Amino acid sequence: MSTLDATAETARRPFAGRRVHLGDVLLQLVAGAAALYTLVLLGLIVYKVVQGARLSMSTFGLGFVTSVGWDPVHNAMGAGSFLFGTAITAIGALLLATPLAMGVALFLTELAPRAIRGPVTALVETLAAIPSVVIGLWGIIVLGPFLRDHVMPALHSTLGFIPLFGPYSTGSSVFTAIVVLTIMILPIISSISRELFLGVPGELKEAALGLGTTRWEMVRGVMFPYARGGVAAAMILGLGRAVGEAIAVTQVIGAGTHITWNLFNTGDTLASKIAESYQGYETNLEGSSLFYLAVILLVFSLAVNLVAQMIVRRVDRRQGRAA
Amino acid sequence: MSAADLSVLQRPNDKRRKRRFVNRGMEVVAWVAAAIAVGLLGLLVWSVAKQGASQLNLDLITKPPSQNEFALNPGPQGLANAFVGTFIIVAIATAIALPIGILVAIYVNEFAPRAVKNFLTPSLDILNGIPAIVVGIFVFGLIVVGHGQSGFAGGFALSVLMIPLVARATIEVLALVPDSLREASLGLGVPRWRTTLGIVLPQTVGGILTGTVLAVARVAGETAPLLFTSSIVGTQVGWNPSHALQSVPVAIYELSESPTPADHARAWAAALVLLLFILFTSLIARWLANRSRRKIARAS
Amino acid sequence: MPRNGKLVRITLALAAAALLGALAVTSAGAAGKRSAGTLNGAGSSLVAPAVAQWGTMYTADTINYSALGSGAGIKAISARTVDFGASDAPLTKSQGQGCHGCVQIPWALTATIPVVNIPGVADHQLKLTGTVLANIYLGNITKWNDPAIKAINKGLNLPDMNITVIHRSDGSGDTYVFTNYLSKVNKAWKSKVGCATTVSWPTGVGGNKNAGVAALVKTNSGSIGYVSDFYAIQNHIAKPRLKNAAGSFVLPKISSIESAAQLVKGEKIPANNKISLTNPPKSKKYKNAWPMATFTYVLVPVQTPKAAQLKAFITFALSPAAQSAIKKLVFAPMPGVVIKAAKKTLATIHS
Repeated sequence: MSTLDATAETARRPFAGRRVHLGDVLLQLVAGAAALYTLVLLGLIVYKVVQGARLSMSTFGLGFVTSVGWDPVHNAMGAGSFLFGTAITAIGALLLATPLAMGVALFLTELAPRAIRGPVTALVETLAAIPSVVIGLWGIIVLGPFLRDHVMPALHSTLGFIPLFGPYSTGSSVFTAIVVLTIMILPIISSISRELFLGVPGELKEAALGLGTTRWEMVRGVMFPYARGGVAAAMILGLGRAVGEAIAVTQVIGAGTHITWNLFNTGDTLASKIAESYQGYETNLEGSSLFYLAVILLVFSLAVNLVAQMIVRRVDRRQGRAA
Repeated sequence: MSAADLSVLQRPNDKRRKRRFVNRGMEVVAWVAAAIAVGLLGLLVWSVAKQGASQLNLDLITKPPSQNEFALNPGPQGLANAFVGTFIIVAIATAIALPIGILVAIYVNEFAPRAVKNFLTPSLDILNGIPAIVVGIFVFGLIVVGHGQSGFAGGFALSVLMIPLVARATIEVLALVPDSLREASLGLGVPRWRTTLGIVLPQTVGGILTGTVLAVARVAGETAPLLFTSSIVGTQVGWNPSHALQSVPVAIYELSESPTPADHARAWAAALVLLLFILFTSLIARWLANRSRRKIARAS
Repeated sequence: MPRNGKLVRITLALAAAALLGALAVTSAGAAGKRSAGTLNGAGSSLVAPAVAQWGTMYTADTINYSALGSGAGIKAISARTVDFGASDAPLTKSQGQGCHGCVQIPWALTATIPVVNIPGVADHQLKLTGTVLANIYLGNITKWNDPAIKAINKGLNLPDMNITVIHRSDGSGDTYVFTNYLSKVNKAWKSKVGCATTVSWPTGVGGNKNAGVAALVKTNSGSIGYVSDFYAIQNHIAKPRLKNAAGSFVLPKISSIESAAQLVKGEKIPANNKISLTNPPKSKKYKNAWPMATFTYVLVPVQTPKAAQLKAFITFALSPAAQSAIKKLVFAPMPGVVIKAAKKTLATIHS
């Protein structure tokens, strides 16, 4: 046991044979208080949200989670359409962003000429920090009209037999929200993937290439399996970001309360519904139901977080074993 | 590491052309994906730059919005109240989150027993993962109801988002400081607290600053926590955080849904300023990170 | 101290300065939580242009008003996060209870109107009836050249185009007035959707506040929405004529709003000032009445520390000068009996 652990032990057990300084105790107390503060904060957030949802939970029970529609006039509210909206926008964004992000990461680590690697990497990393409201502003003014006037008609006329590309009306749609979310999570996934690919031991890559694989086969056979866990964690992080995004989504999604597979129709997610309705709800039951949505959103975020942590831990263990 | 899959090498030789073709194809795919991604993101930045630059003038930062936004000729107006408000609210958030974040990191890395550490670290990650909109309604219910909106409420809401970021960055750099340094100091008779504050912490200042700067850049653009805590504002420039203060992201949000092109123009300009600020702070963070990395490399 | 010491010292100095600065700002703020000389209000976007106009005329206090929607105004005053709220929708019973002793005082009179954006159709050209409007918003009529619309618009070249329905996504007084009117003229609407500041819309795209709906209608060809009168004019959006109960296709103007406001003459205004002007009855008196006129209310707690300031401001708003100043924003001057009732309620406020 190092000296460090020894003194740590004695600091926690004063009067055990070593003089304890007041400063030590004070620092530990103050630092411990700060740690306690964060735990209390976390607990308080969960408590307040659950407390707010109590009325709605006792009125609707668990059926709320699946029932569709939001009718404060007839007191019939449910999270069904918003859960669907959250799922379809987040998964849609993940499906679009992951291949693009992997492409960017591969490009930056394997293909790009050295000269542009630096600037492009910096560009992608900075873009991770663009505020969501700015992306939403761009979504309302530039992206929405562009999709409505060019992309949606093209997709609808060619692939209209697929329910995903049904009739369209305005630029405010689930599809716009998916594109916006894709832009937001792409930098996250690509940054992490890039770091993972950079971390693949050079010897492994060279060994594969030396044995005669093509570059793509090396990527597929060596880099992807090596980075698989980390990329999965990155995808989960991106998913978490997409699930929790309220502002950019509410700016472009059009506030629809229904379940439809038509991406060009309006929709709403858990987070965007809260942002939209929280300030001006009419009845107490409606307000409590919004808190119920927040509870579901919290459960979602917690689940995503825990899964990401599990994956990271499993990857660390595996890397540790291999090392 | 999971087994690398090199079974492809066992295929017969005449497949070589096909394999080369596939390789070329995937290279093209990667180039195209990168082009799409970078193009899309570049388009976004270019839109903001182009639309915002035309409206970027000193008026934006020095003049408040016109007192009557519905007047036919509002005259020169800007978003001075939003820039001042963001400055004050973010300053309050940093003043709260910085000390707490550092202290939490000190506790986790220097004092906490293993069991507590294994509980605290995931808790920080969970706090980090709470959606900003939930933080917003939480702070609304906690502070705003009954007392009114205020810059303090907004700053407090942002601090909830900042604490995990600052704490995590500080924990990482604290862990980088070698134990030998601590042991040497303790061996010389320096008390624990003095060691932590006077020997260990100074080594990490660069990393802490980096983490803080990044956290500031992140929360300066957050809208959701401020929507319910500091959004009922007037048009004059307010410096008093016990009243609600306008902020740049909330101003952009409100202007983005307006039918007036002049409002859109101001929103673009404010977005450009925000973007430049984030770019600037990211560069500073990167410079600080490199500086401290070089220093630690030199020390070890 | 190690070489980093300088950096540490600078950082500590900066932190201390920041902390001192924060303390200074705090103490400046602590000395007077809400400085006398400011009135903070939030709510209806319908009345926002009027309040903005009054704000430039009123010198005793600075008026800070945020147009967040009537629903948000009711919630804000109930939670006392503002000094006054504003709503076009009168308080429901439970909202009244939730507000813990608030009064609603009518302080302006205007109208909610449908607006359209149809290629080839100019301002004042399109004619609509309540039934057609209800069916459009129910999703039963989906194209502009639907026979039901063509029947009342003989001679107008309506395109073969889908109708994009736009409605409010936030808690809105305009929604209340609009759904109130539709409930009165269409039984299916009344039972299926009802009347409130937030309803379950059978179809359509949602915009945030009057500004958001105006923006959506303006940028989407073939769309229909509803906004308060001022926003239609401010944004040059086409206004259709609406058929009232008396049978005329009227335009939303000061004169047609005043015509509808005659409903209060001869009636006793209830103690809670809840007055509905939608769908005036079939009678020669209301030949030119606009079917969706509405009063809009300021919501004030009966007991409030800012009673004197609020009284002064609202008295000003009810004054002839203030009422005529907002005429150009399509707010008709309120009838004398309403002003009297408003002043009577205002007198009950105390601190």
